[in-house]
Amino acid sequence: MPDAIFILISTIFVNNFVMVQFLGLCPFMGASQKFDSAVGMAAATTFVLTLASAASYLVEHYLLIPFDLQYLRIISFIVIIAALVQFSEIVIKATQPLLHQILGIFIPLITTNCAVLGVALINVNHSRGFFESIMFGLGAALGFSLLLIMFAAIREKQEHKQIPAPFQGAAINMITAGLLSLAFMGFTGMDR
Amino acid sequence: MMLTEILAGVTLLAAIGLVSGGGLLLSSRRWQDKGDDVTRLINKLLPQTQCAQCGYPGCEPYAQAIASGEAINKCPPGGDSTIRALADLLGKDFVQLDESCGTSSAPAVASIREPECIGCTLCIQACPVDAIIGAPQMMHTVIAAECTGCELCIAPCPVDCIDMISLGTHEESAPAHPDHSQPCIHCGICMEVCPQDLAPQQLLLYKNSTAIAESLRLQDCIECHLCDRVCPSQIPLTAIFKNTKHAVLEQKRERIKAEYIESRFSRRESRLIASTAKSHKRPTKAETAALLASIKNGQ
Repeated sequence: MPDAIFILISTIFVNNFVMVQFLGLCPFMGASQKFDSAVGMAAATTFVLTLASAASYLVEHYLLIPFDLQYLRIISFIVIIAALVQFSEIVIKATQPLLHQILGIFIPLITTNCAVLGVALINVNHSRGFFESIMFGLGAALGFSLLLIMFAAIREKQEHKQIPAPFQGAAINMITAGLLSLAFMGFTGMDR
Repeated sequence: MMLTEILAGVTLLAAIGLVSGGGLLLSSRRWQDKGDDVTRLINKLLPQTQCAQCGYPGCEPYAQAIASGEAINKCPPGGDSTIRALADLLGKDFVQLDESCGTSSAPAVASIREPECIGCTLCIQACPVDAIIGAPQMMHTVIAAECTGCELCIAPCPVDCIDMISLGTHEESAPAHPDHSQPCIHCGICMEVCPQDLAPQQLLLYKNSTAIAESLRLQDCIECHLCDRVCPSQIPLTAIFKNTKHAVLEQKRERIKAEYIESRFSRRESRLIASTAKSHKRPTKAETAALLASIKNGQ
């Protein structure tokens, strides 16, 4: 159990996927316009990431290794992730139509969120156990959610501030993201 | 050996694909699509003039089109405020009004120069909200209170006897007293003196977002001017809040009017569908133009 907590904290803060490993930047920039939609996006990604890391472990250890088919790892992981993303899109569309409208293309794009495939592949490379894999996926997802929601809140505040013309739009977002990344570098000292 | 390896790989991928595909099929049956809700929300933000300047036959069809990806800047009667509201709802960026659809103008109502009217009933058929009354060979007139100012009746009129009369804008600019104000320095003194425990500083920041201003209890402001007096930047806070309150009120009034017009429009639509009259569908722009040309040529 202490191990699980360690993995969680390390993936959320120390090795945050967005700010330290620079994975999943596309939705980080694209889906953080509004606080509410960012929360929805974060929930969808958390769902997909956690389940994908569990499913990829099962596929790797009960299908790929017994049949000696590890070279099909990436493509089979992608199929699983795509199916999970489609599933979450169906659920969102039925329960939260407005959220589905706002996020639009960003929901299918969770499939190509490199953080999702990244987590599955890193899990295999580090030969983690089932429980550890899920914890790693959950930690990565929570770290991603934390950043996305934080960034969306900052962007919403910025909308009502006077920003010099050359910095408006994407420029100030890039600078804000850079400063956030710098702040997260402060956690690197917390390594084991 | 080679063949079995390939077969194993193909079988495995096919199995994964089949299982996940089946799961998706089941889940899509379980959770039905509810896309109509979005259309309803979008439709609520449109001004309901039913003017068809966006290229769709009415506000609801345009709302449907927006829900499936149409641009949000095609509503001239709504103007910037509608585009901004749509952008807020859909999380899109604000864009300027599409000039090809028309320009935003002051609210106006149609008026028929009655001595010139020949009683052809063409304008009655064109009116999307049944705001024109009259009978064949009889003088027509516009019920000003029901008119949305959509200008759809002007083109069909063969004798050009319909004018648009501007209603004048309700906009009250900020009071014209001398403005020595400096930017807000967020000192917070106004929050201490406010007898209603409001946060004038926050209200000032969100003066253009009526929804946020209302959630900050804008309506509780009693306009006592205490915040004006203590403000070291001499910002005319109370006057600004008055303007914001006015904008909120105006929005609510427009909302009520839009709902009323929408109900008239939908009643007309259902009547037209029910009747088998030849005017069961609204003429397209091209058809109207052709009809107009043939009438003016004296056929």
